[in-house]
Parts: sequence; C-alpha cells; structure tokens
Amino acid sequence: MEGLGAGPGPPILRAVASSTRPLYQLLKAIHFTNKIHVEITENGLRFAADHARVMQGVAHWNKGLFTSYTTNLPSPAPREGDEDDDDEEDEPPSVTFQVSLPAVLETLQIFGAADAAARQARADVDPYRSNLRNYRADAFSNQTLGMSGTCAISYAREGEPFSIVLDEAGVTTTCNLTTYIPEAPDDIPFDIQDISFKIITSARWLLDALTELAPTSPEKLTIAASKREPFLRLSSSGGPLGSSSVDFAKGRDLLETFSVGGRWVQTFKFDIIKSACEAMRIASKVSLRGDGQGVLSMQFMVEVEGSGPSFLDFRFVPYAVCDDDEDEDEEDEEAEPGRLEM
Amino acid sequence: MVVLNFTLSEEGVAVLHDALACMFKFSDDVCLEARKDKLTLSTLNLSKSAYICFSFAVNRFFARYNFEGTPQHRDRFFCQLYIRSLLTIFRARPTSGDQRDRDTSIERCDVAIDDGVGRKSRLVARVSFRNGITASHSLPYEVKTPVHAKFNGDEARNHWAISSRTLRQLMDHFSPGIELLDINTDDENRIVNFTCFTEKVQKRGVVNNEAVLKKPLHTNIAVEMDEFDDVEVENKLHIIISVKDFRAILQHAQMTSGALTANYSHPGRPLKLSYSADGVLCEFILMTVGEKTALVQKHKNPQKNAAKAPAPQLDSTSHRASSVASENRSNPTPSTSRPPQNAIQTRPRQPAFEIRPSPMPPPTTARSSGLFVDQTEEDEQWEPVNPDEEEEEDDESGRLGWNNTNEPNPSSIRIGSYLSRQAEAQPEPPEHLVSGIDPTQRLEEVRRFGLFSD
Repeated sequence: MEGLGAGPGPPILRAVASSTRPLYQLLKAIHFTNKIHVEITENGLRFAADHARVMQGVAHWNKGLFTSYTTNLPSPAPREGDEDDDDEEDEPPSVTFQVSLPAVLETLQIFGAADAAARQARADVDPYRSNLRNYRADAFSNQTLGMSGTCAISYAREGEPFSIVLDEAGVTTTCNLTTYIPEAPDDIPFDIQDISFKIITSARWLLDALTELAPTSPEKLTIAASKREPFLRLSSSGGPLGSSSVDFAKGRDLLETFSVGGRWVQTFKFDIIKSACEAMRIASKVSLRGDGQGVLSMQFMVEVEGSGPSFLDFRFVPYAVCDDDEDEDEEDEEAEPGRLEM
Repeated sequence: MVVLNFTLSEEGVAVLHDALACMFKFSDDVCLEARKDKLTLSTLNLSKSAYICFSFAVNRFFARYNFEGTPQHRDRFFCQLYIRSLLTIFRARPTSGDQRDRDTSIERCDVAIDDGVGRKSRLVARVSFRNGITASHSLPYEVKTPVHAKFNGDEARNHWAISSRTLRQLMDHFSPGIELLDINTDDENRIVNFTCFTEKVQKRGVVNNEAVLKKPLHTNIAVEMDEFDDVEVENKLHIIISVKDFRAILQHAQMTSGALTANYSHPGRPLKLSYSADGVLCEFILMTVGEKTALVQKHKNPQKNAAKAPAPQLDSTSHRASSVASENRSNPTPSTSRPPQNAIQTRPRQPAFEIRPSPMPPPTTARSSGLFVDQTEEDEQWEPVNPDEEEEEDDESGRLGWNNTNEPNPSSIRIGSYLSRQAEAQPEPPEHLVSGIDPTQRLEEVRRFGLFSD
C-alpha cells in the first residue's frame, strides 16, 4: 500500500468502504459486458457498460457508499455538479478509463475468504453439522454482510492500475487491475425534452412480467404505453412456443406515476431487456421513459442501507420501425463493430 | 370463433398443473379433448407402453365452462399441445406474503380456444394475478385425433384398492436403480408382495462376454391384505410393471387422499390404475411385462413339487447354477440337467448377492418374503428363459394393441394382440452370444462343443 502513494502528488482517487456488498450488487446489475468504462468524478464513480451500442447500463458508486472519498482530479477547477443522476450532460471534468468487469466483481467477492476457512474449520470439529450446501454462505457470514474488513480503492494516475486493497482479519489482499484506454463511446442519446411517456412502478412487477414472458423464449419484446387500457403492455413474439403478453391494466394500483403523451410502441430485442433483470431484482422502483425517437430509458432505484438510494440507468435502442425484417437485421449488423470494441 | 372457453380458480390451476406435470414424465405433448360434459387430457408415451388420462368433470372442476363446438365436430373438439409450454403457464407463482397488495398469486385463469376459417388457431390462456397484472399466452396447437388405450374391464378380474398415501410410503423402500416391480399375492399368508428388481446387466469380461446384474438387489415389500380396501387377486399371480411409471403415478396420486384402484388380468395384458378426486378422474393404463404361455406351463409342475417338498440341502449347487443362468444369458440351451460344475467354470466371478434366476419369479411357496430369494429352488425352476424375456421386455409396445379408431371393438384387438405375440415368440438373437453358438441351436448340436459334460 505504501507503493501506491509514492508517485508525485496524491493519487487521483482514494476511497475506503467498509462494506463491499452494495458495491458488488450495483456492479452486478450491469454485468452484461466484459469491459466497462469507469469515470471518476467528485461525487463518486460511474460505471458504464455498453452492449453493441444498442444497450447501455450505468451504475453509480455514490460518494455516500464510502467512509472516505477523496479525489484529486487533474482539471484545475471542477465545477460543483449536483448529485442527480438524470443530467449526465452537465458533468464536471473527470478521469475515464476502462477496466475488466468480471475482474472487479471477482475482487469484490474476495471478502469472506477468511470466513470460508473459518467455516471449514468449524465443519471439521463439528461432525454433526450437515455438509449439505456447506459451500453456501449463511446469512450472517462475513461474505454476505460484506463488512468484516475494509476495502480501499485507489487509482494513482492515468496508466496506473485500478487498485483494490481488501483488509480482513489481518489478511490483506491487494488486487491491481489493469486499466485500459477509454474508447469514449457516446451515451445512447435520450432526449429528455421529448419524453413520450413516463411510468414509475415497482421493479418487482417488471421482473414478474418478464418472467412471465420468458418461457416462450421470445426473440422480441414490444412495449406499448397508451392512455387507455391497457396502460402498459409488454408482449413477446418470435418464440417457438407461441406468444405472450402482460398487461398492467389496473393502472391505479400498479403504476405509481403515469403520464403518457400519446401511444408509444417500440420493439426491442428480448435478450437485451432481459440483461436488466438483475437490476430489477435488487431495485425497489423503476422509472420507464420513452422518448420521441423510441429510445427506452429504465432507471432503477436501489435502496442501500446506510446511504441514500443509488440509481442504475439503462437505455435501449429499439428495432427500427420498418415493414421488412431485413432492416431490423441490418441494424443488428451495424451494431456488430461495437461488439468488437468490448 | 371461440370453440371452447373455461375459467379456472387458483386451486384449479394448481390441479391442472399437477396433472400436466405427471403427464410430462411420460410424454412431451398432451391431447386435449373437450366435450359438453367433460374435458379430457390424455397422452401416450413414446414407446406406447403407458397411457395417461385425466378427465375433468365440467360441473365440479371449472368455475365456468362453455363448449361451442366447431361445424366439423359438433360433439367434441380435440387438439394436441406441448406440455412444457402449458406447464409454464399454469405454474404456481411465488407469493410474496409480506405485503397484501403485492400478492402475485393467481386469481383466476381464463382459457379460450379460438379456431375457425380464416383465424389463427390458438389456445389463449389469460392469467389474472391478484395484484392486477394480467398475462395472456397464446399457444399454437395441432389438431390431432387423440389416441385412447382400450381397457377391457371384464377381462381384468384381479383388482385391489389401497390408499394412495400408503402406497406412496411403500415406494420409499424401493432401492435406487431398479426398473421393474412385481406385484403378487400370497393368499396363505394374507399378504401382497411388491418386489422390485432390475434386469440390467453389465458386461464384465471382454473375452467370454460375461455379464453380471448391475444391481443384484431385490427388495420385497410385503403388505398385509388388511391394508387394502378390497383385494381380489388370483393367488400367486405375478404382474410386472415399470417402476419409473409407477413412481410417476404415485407422485401424483399421493396428492389426492383417495384410494387407488388397480385392475388387471394376467401378464402381458394391460393394467389399469385409477383414482379420482374432486371431479378429476385419473386413469393410467400400463402395459405389463408378459411371459410366454408355454413358460407358465413349464413352471407349473416344478412349482408344485417345490411347494410340497422344498429341498434345502440342494441349495448351494443348484443356486449357483441358477445364478449362471441369469447372468450368462448367452446360454440359450434349455438344459435342465446341466451339471453345476460346468457352470462354475464358465463363470469365474461369484456375485456378492444371490440372484434370483429369472425376471418371472417362480411362485413357490418356499420363497421367503425376505429381502433375498431363498436358496431352495430346484434346477427345474430356473430354466433359462431369459433371451425370450429380454425380448419381451423390449417389445412390450407391440402387444399393447391400442385402438386408434376409438371404436369399441375389443375382440378384433385381442386377435391382433395375440398374433403379434406369436410373432414375438420366435426368439431373437440375444444380446450376449457365446462365440460360435447360435441361440436357436438345438441342445444336441451344442453338446458336441464340449461345453457340457453329459
């Protein structure tokens, strides 16, 4: 750890967290790519994952998740940005790099290694303990609580590794993750001025709806929002076992906020929407918005104990509205080069 | 045009799911047949050895039921559907019991079948959840005449009935890896035996094609007749069915508290298991493993002898020989006078357990009701009939004689089934051949190879 601060000047980022669990949970929700863009700002870390330029997932590690958070951003006068996740356009200068997401997730799970050893020892002395599912962490294990030690995150300067140091029960694990030059992909454009509909509902409902549609292994998911019944309808098509649809017809009970300008119907690839399932699982509320171009934005509110809510942002590009299927395929093909970037 | 529509309550959905889950263990698709007064789900397994039929009484099972019929078929409508997709629709949704308004359990389910000229033929299931979300699934189906198995109730004189739960508990004692279940009665001791075993052989030696039983374990569960509600079975009649099918049925039957009834005639003829609960009649027709008529005759005399004079002093040698017979199926010679020492030569390994000679156990009174077969069997009893039986097991389907026309004409079926049985009786080459000996060769011809010392 001494080596980290040895360079000229303080490191760009130094943050210490006492629990890795929320950090892990938030990142897990955007685990659909290999490399993610990390952006360090005054208010926290922003992780952006991109899938073939048709899906984007953004997770934030809010400053509040850390017990200490200090940045030393290179730009001379970083303006005071507000914490609201909605306006990403108005961000202060920041440091960006890419890092391997599976590696970060793996690292954050290292917590509890000592715990596993302790459990093993306990199993050895107690022969009557069931060895059934012994590999699973129980509810009170340190791995589940993620709070036995400290997790220090640092990034010295450009080109240096992203370093995660875990200290647990006298065992220190240092993980230096290689950083990559950012590819600076633009965010999927979402026009906040031209929102066609906005629905806030329980994330659980959305997950249930997708679970309901998934068994027919559909290819496409159509989301329709309308002023009259059914207010919100998700329907699947293209599956070999038939088609399904889910209606949120009793709008008053189900939809917390509901404002629809006109009928909005867009079709998405089912699998990319399904990638957001992990987010639906951990989130309490979801805000669905669609803009005039058909881009769908899903914002998930995740309640994290001890700090305020964290947000996960997803954006999806719909299939081009054409009569022929070829055009839709074309869109997929265009997206292919983007996949290579990952 | 809506041909059929009905509404199920939450419990109805669960019952339907259970029925489909049971059928899914036999087959991938199910035939739905709707009439004015009942809805029938039936399926036949791939080898056509098991037929499952669930009949739902319209007035008792459904919250609402309306059958319109099509111009072609006024009286009934039928179609075939994938069980897998139906299972996902009718599955129970997890209830989050903590918040009352967040209840995701099913409130009701409306099913409609839409058919007609110029319309997409679809089964539309609309599931309404308590929280206000509705999901509708539309499934394509195939219009296909259902196949129904015929069962002649007059012929099946043997029957017993027992609580399905009791029977399910007995199943816990079945050892793993077994395939066949032999149900037989013993009038003297007033017991019904459930014997389970397997005939699966494992090849040991490469050179001499030596084969041993994979699971040389027989489990015999003796149940007192008092446990049964009604037993009327021919004494010592052995009826053999597949354990896998039996398990699948009991898995479903235990959910109903009623009695399970079995009806059957004799080996090689179908056996019917049935039970009913709350307007649902569940019927299973299973093919039983047959035995050759000639074989039965052959067995008759020695059985009587054995019953009268069990000879315990004969045990070791004769039993060894019998082990060989069952292990080494390559030996097709119906030799009853084969000296045991030769048998020992051909089989260097002694199995850990004593193996009952043939899958059709000779019903001797000398047989103990213990776990293993007693050793008092005489040589005549274990005639190596295995090649034939093996073949019979494989070919069960041939004898089933399902009637596709759904016309009650049992006599013609019977003839057909007998004919096919005769065809089967011709021995096929068994799996494990002793090099150079054709299984159909006569004993005299074989003798000169010096395999047997006279």
